[in-house]
Amino acid sequence: MNIAVCIKQVPDTPSIRMDRERMTIIRDGVESVINPLDYVALQAALDLRDRKGGEVVVITMGPPQSEEALREAIAAGADRAILVTGAAFSGADTLATSHVLAVAISKLDPFPDLVLCGAHTTDSDTAHVGPQMAEELNLPQICGVNEIHMEEDYLTVKRLSDGFVETLQVSLPALLTVTQELCSVGHLPLGDLQIAFSEREITQWGPEDLGLKEEEVGLRGSATQVWKLSVPPPRREGDLISGSPQTLVDHLIRKLEDLSILDEEDGYKS
Amino acid sequence: MRFEPTMKQAVIRRTARKYAEEVLAPAAVEMDRTGQFPQDIADEMAELKYFGLEIPPEYGGAGLDPVSYAIVVEEISRANAAMGLCVAVHNGVAAAPMYEFGNQFQRKKFLVPVATGKKIGTFCLSEPNAGSDASAIETTAVRDNKDYILNGNKVFVTNGHVSGTNLIFANTRPGEKKKEYTVFFVESEREGVEKGPLEELMGMRGNPVCPITLHDCRVPEENLLGEQGQGLKIAFATLNGGRIGIAAQALGIAQACLDVSLRYAKERHQFGRSIAQFGAIQKHLADMATQVEAARLLVYRAAGLRDKGLEYGMESAMAKLYASKIAVDAARIGIQIHGAYGYSKSYPIERYYRDAKITEIYEGTSEVQRIVIARSLMER
Repeated sequence: MNIAVCIKQVPDTPSIRMDRERMTIIRDGVESVINPLDYVALQAALDLRDRKGGEVVVITMGPPQSEEALREAIAAGADRAILVTGAAFSGADTLATSHVLAVAISKLDPFPDLVLCGAHTTDSDTAHVGPQMAEELNLPQICGVNEIHMEEDYLTVKRLSDGFVETLQVSLPALLTVTQELCSVGHLPLGDLQIAFSEREITQWGPEDLGLKEEEVGLRGSATQVWKLSVPPPRREGDLISGSPQTLVDHLIRKLEDLSILDEEDGYKS
Repeated sequence: MRFEPTMKQAVIRRTARKYAEEVLAPAAVEMDRTGQFPQDIADEMAELKYFGLEIPPEYGGAGLDPVSYAIVVEEISRANAAMGLCVAVHNGVAAAPMYEFGNQFQRKKFLVPVATGKKIGTFCLSEPNAGSDASAIETTAVRDNKDYILNGNKVFVTNGHVSGTNLIFANTRPGEKKKEYTVFFVESEREGVEKGPLEELMGMRGNPVCPITLHDCRVPEENLLGEQGQGLKIAFATLNGGRIGIAAQALGIAQACLDVSLRYAKERHQFGRSIAQFGAIQKHLADMATQVEAARLLVYRAAGLRDKGLEYGMESAMAKLYASKIAVDAARIGIQIHGAYGYSKSYPIERYYRDAKITEIYEGTSEVQRIVIARSLMER
């Protein structure tokens, strides 16, 4: 079973800071890591490959330094890695990103039996890219998968939906996006990191390699643009009130009156 | 001049930190309390190549560069200094000389099991009457046809109780006026090797430190490391490199002190605000952070020189001298920031204090580091 895993480098969450004047995320000096759910997708792909054979290809679209994420994926066990990079790709929204990744995947030989992605990323958190790629590649898609079973020539997968467990079957090739519960990610052997960074090759594809025109990619190929970025207002601290039921009720009513939610004369305001 | 880690070094740090935080930090309290070495964790670390960090892959190691090595030891020690000690000694003063001075036969026979972590290594120089003065060792090795017969007492052997392969320093000209120093591989299971009881130590309690005694221990000549009479040369070359490991260990402890002190200062409220708001505490934290950063630069610089094949004896001595001093200071001031809670075993800072102190003593005391530095100054 040949599997393609799409990964994204995201800023390491604990170290994210905002430039409050320019309202942008400060990327200088902030470490980038493989999006945690993409790591889960990679681990699931490696487990499937180890049981069923085939190869795991990791793909990312990003600046040249995304090579770091790909090499880490190789150390984790991926067979090969493709970096889709070029100045024209920058500023892409999720549509332009999905388009480029879909074209890159369709160029894989052999075409993968399965495409895996994290359900969402810790930075923009749109959960768009997986489903949009599936549409463009005309693949069946199941999002938010937390269990995968390989049957003869199809998959049985599970996901949580409105508190119920949904069990679905899907023919191959297919695209799945995965959640944290799918599997745990192991610890990397240091020797494999050394090999991944010193001996292994990363394939690079630019717009020409993929036959993409400038208007299809990057900012120009995007259907949306970020208009404004702002920091959400801080949550107000809650009040903890204690005492007898009567005191609690009195206190609560006074509060509601103070906030003009409850009117002394008419009871509830509409 | 570059101060940023390479891509590989950044990933190595994240990888080691994740392992240290998830596996080694939770084990540290129990190791300190019981003095038990967690063999299951060591076995897992062997699989992940923590026991052959700088050894090339053909001998079973990870083949890392010296800066990556320092980063790994720093991250392990930040979470669990006793395990940092195990790794630093095993790699820095056991595996390293086995690789550097061992012949092909010895590399295959002795180094491979050590670099793959199947056997834990030790470096046995100290004796009851020989510490800083390595030339004062009394252990003897007497030639007997194709063998040597070893007798003597080695003390404070780090990793001693769990060791499989020991490097023993002995005098191969006993009875003569001028001693001759030689190093031998001595397997723990060899007849005549006796391990004494675990030392009851102030800190680093999870490391199984013990004495090793040799009674008419017969060792074949193929177990002689390097050449007969090369012992002191091997010892000094090994300690030059080993100091980087101990400096990195002290750095990790100092960073841990800063981490917990900063967190506590922000959490602890007195006089209606967090104590981190007070100038007196801010001064402590600022000094601590500056010292940690300075130590880090010294450690990585010494490791960087080693990586380039340049001389680094003075720089590794400076790194060890400074990092160990600021680790003890950071722990002491860290306890002060924690107040009475810092004196309690409910918080880790008292353990850091006990662990930090030995970094000023082993693998060359601070006094000896100053001798090394001063001599280098005068020679250069």
